[in-house]
Amino acid sequence: MTAITIDHVSRSFGTVRAVDDVSLEIRDGEFFTLLGPSGCGKTTLLRTIAGFADLTAGQIRFGDRRIDTLPPHRRNTGMVFQNYAIFPNLTVGGNVAYGLKARSVPDGQMRERVSRALKLVHLDGYTERWPHQLSGGQLQRVAIARCLVIEPEVLLLDEPLSNLDAKLRVEMRAEIRQLQQQLKITAIYVTHDQEEALAMSDRIAVMRSGRLEQVASPQAIYRAPATPFVAEFMGTTNLLSGTIAGRDGETLRIQVGQQEFRAHGDGRQGETVTFSLRPETVRLLAPGESAPAGWSVLHTDLAHVEFLGAITRLDLAVGNGATLRVASLDVLPDELKARGRISAAYDPRRVTVFRNG
Amino acid sequence: MTALVSRRDTFPLTITVLAFAFLGLFLLYPLLNVFSASFIDRSGTHFTLANYARMLSNSFYLGSLYNSLLLGVLSTLVTIVIGVPLAFCLARLPIPGKSALLALAALPLVLPSFIAAYSLVLLLGRAGIVSRFLRDIGIPFTSIYGMTGLTVTFALTLFPFVVFPTLAAFKAVDISVEEAGQNLGSSRWRTFWTVTVPIVMPAVLAGGLLVFIDVIESFGVPFVLAEDKPILAVEAYKLFVGETGGNPASAGVLGVLLIICTAAALLVQRYYLGRRRFSTAARRTPPELVVAPWLRRLAATYSWGIVLIALIPFFAVIVISFMEFRGPVMHPNLSLNNFRDLLNQSSRPLVNTLVLSTAAAVLAALIGVPIGYAITRFRSKASDLLDVIAMTPFAVAGTVLAIGLVISFNSGWLVLTGGWLILVLAWTVRKIPFNVRASAAILHQIDPSLEEASINLGVSPLMTFIRLTVPLMMGGVIGGIVLTWVTVASELSSTVVLYSGPWATMTIVMFQALEGTGAGIASAAATVLIAVTVLPVALVYRLLRRHELGMM
Ligand SMILES: Nc1ncnc2c1ncn2[C@@H]1O[C@H](COP(=O)(O)OP(=O)(O)OP(=O)(O)O)[C@@H](O)[C@H]1O
Ligand SMILES: [Mg+2]
Repeated sequence: MTAITIDHVSRSFGTVRAVDDVSLEIRDGEFFTLLGPSGCGKTTLLRTIAGFADLTAGQIRFGDRRIDTLPPHRRNTGMVFQNYAIFPNLTVGGNVAYGLKARSVPDGQMRERVSRALKLVHLDGYTERWPHQLSGGQLQRVAIARCLVIEPEVLLLDEPLSNLDAKLRVEMRAEIRQLQQQLKITAIYVTHDQEEALAMSDRIAVMRSGRLEQVASPQAIYRAPATPFVAEFMGTTNLLSGTIAGRDGETLRIQVGQQEFRAHGDGRQGETVTFSLRPETVRLLAPGESAPAGWSVLHTDLAHVEFLGAITRLDLAVGNGATLRVASLDVLPDELKARGRISAAYDPRRVTVFRNG
Repeated sequence: MTALVSRRDTFPLTITVLAFAFLGLFLLYPLLNVFSASFIDRSGTHFTLANYARMLSNSFYLGSLYNSLLLGVLSTLVTIVIGVPLAFCLARLPIPGKSALLALAALPLVLPSFIAAYSLVLLLGRAGIVSRFLRDIGIPFTSIYGMTGLTVTFALTLFPFVVFPTLAAFKAVDISVEEAGQNLGSSRWRTFWTVTVPIVMPAVLAGGLLVFIDVIESFGVPFVLAEDKPILAVEAYKLFVGETGGNPASAGVLGVLLIICTAAALLVQRYYLGRRRFSTAARRTPPELVVAPWLRRLAATYSWGIVLIALIPFFAVIVISFMEFRGPVMHPNLSLNNFRDLLNQSSRPLVNTLVLSTAAAVLAALIGVPIGYAITRFRSKASDLLDVIAMTPFAVAGTVLAIGLVISFNSGWLVLTGGWLILVLAWTVRKIPFNVRASAAILHQIDPSLEEASINLGVSPLMTFIRLTVPLMMGGVIGGIVLTWVTVASELSSTVVLYSGPWATMTIVMFQALEGTGAGIASAAATVLIAVTVLPVALVYRLLRRHELGMM
């Protein structure tokens, strides 16, 4: 039951600023995800909380208690490692009891807590097994049980699922999320898989080169990315650059080559802006079909089309060599090719405009 | 490697401080005293270079420097010439009984080399069994004393130093690299020279440098075989314990020269080999070559021949120890008299060897393992320095370290000479580099996140080390203790300077018998030493295997 305050935290390795002046408030019971490309400092930030990396500057607090001055073994965090880090010389039961022994929990109580923790991760009956007899998913469950049994204030997970196969990953992420909700424990989860982040988190922080790019809920971060970097990192998008030609009430008119786009946002006439338009938000209009009210329509040529079964992906030429990628359900390439010019509609409110970039 | 815990933790600091204290007191301080003895005049107060001038203008002592270096170079070259083809055969050719051969080939490393030297004297010395036989049938053979005998002995006892790394390198040559070479149109032979040799060369040189250092530091082998040829380590010993009361200044000069030779070799190794990888990361180990039957037979004969010849001296000394001796003359009757005489003399040396070696082996592990832990898991400037200091004993001949210990601790606030502790300390210090390297190697096999997980679960770094790391390292540590024990039990160079009356060891019994006429007792002592070395190694070898299988 702990809120975490990360207050202007930096950590450098020589000249590399692995974590660069990061400030965050993580709420009590929140499932918070650090997301970003490889080397952006996610692990380092997590390790500063666990105490395995010293701060170059800043403070970390659990509630009102400052913890960055404590040695790692007295911080009461539970860390789940990417490679599980199960002690090979102890049984499953021994692994889970390890932290309780350090706390001198009496025998009877220890047995009960161990079996309760194993039950929680659906491993009841595995107490006497040796680690080498378990599968990857089971090992990761042991690692989670081993953390939960000591009732840590926060759960820290560093890409815990990245060594598992795709199917198991999907199962386990639901399980971890459910466990976290059930125990109402504050969790910080590190991943570079954006789908995982979107599926599990209450809030996501996207990191880039040691800095926070954006902190928001999954929906907000997907729908309203704060920077082009976030827009591109979270799924596929079209990032187009153009010049603001004018404004009609709330909508900007942005000239890209011969095409004019409309978008909700701010900007002065003549300013060059970048904007993001996600492929799945563009709808192809059947010949004669009219666009929904308030939507904009483009008339362009088909540059390229790819049939992927459930969806058809196409690139529309928007002039100046730029293309607009569109993902469409339930149309066939042959049908599109037969049309000649294509009409596509989008909602200007779904376009995100980035100024100065 | 990332730092395991925050700087605030005192555990790595404690290890580092304690290690510095121990090594400072029993390694650096004695070495400093050897240096200062060599730079101080007779009054004992003033700095002078006169000792160096005197020693280096003396052709006898200058000769000892020359002989030691020449011997080092010769032995290294011969070892490489013998060892590289052997390594190639073992790596790439079908040899019958290869695994047995590999185990036997490692034996000369643990067997005491001065016993091989002594055995050669018994066989090929002036009154040696084989020499006399040769003379009887009319072949003029004098003896193997001098450079020839020394080089042969060193080559036969030290070849594993070259063979094992080179063998690993031959195996690590990625077959696709060789194939690529051949694809590009070069012949097999050319590929060998342009692709394989450059990959293997660093391993050969690394092994060669180990041989060089071992030869330069060796005391027992030249003591037995050099006869009137002066050799640095032997002359330093003679000057220090000399009949004329001992001359620490002159012994100090030779000691410093010895250190310079070995340190230079080590520096060459650091700078020349330090940044190179010893092998390509082989994804496919090269298969055994298919060769003509005559070549296969030749390779088998060569490989088994070298290994067996290297073991002959040990075998011979065992056989001789069971022969009857009347005075110095051997009679071809089986008897246990030599062993009876050995034990009648006193069983004390055997007990000393067993007990003191155990103490040193355990102490070396107790000190070496934490140092290995500190330098692999808590990298810092202090631990880098500790790494360098912990490796120095490797470049210090036992004789020199022992001289330093005597100078340092024969008076003043801490007197150790005359007791058993000084033997244990000397052996411990000498074996610290091995223990540090071995434990570092074991630690590289253990994922640091295991220790982090333990600390994260609330176990302090110290308790994590004791409760998790040490058990995980146990197999390797026990192996290290046994190997230390084995080499310490047959250590001569420092023991001969440091032992006193009741604290003589088996090696000293042998040493004294060498000087006297007791070939029977000496060979019995040698046999006991061989048994004491081979049995524990064999036992642990089996034990560790089973242990590893159990963990699988
Ligand atoms: N111990 C270290 N010494 C030097 N540099 C380090 C160390 N640990 C991390 N770094 C550097 O700090 C930066 C951030 O590394 P970090 O491991 O936190 O990245 P990450 O976001 O977890 O990446 P990944 O997704 O690949 O795990 C990288 O540039 C990395 O090279
Ligand atoms: Mg990481």
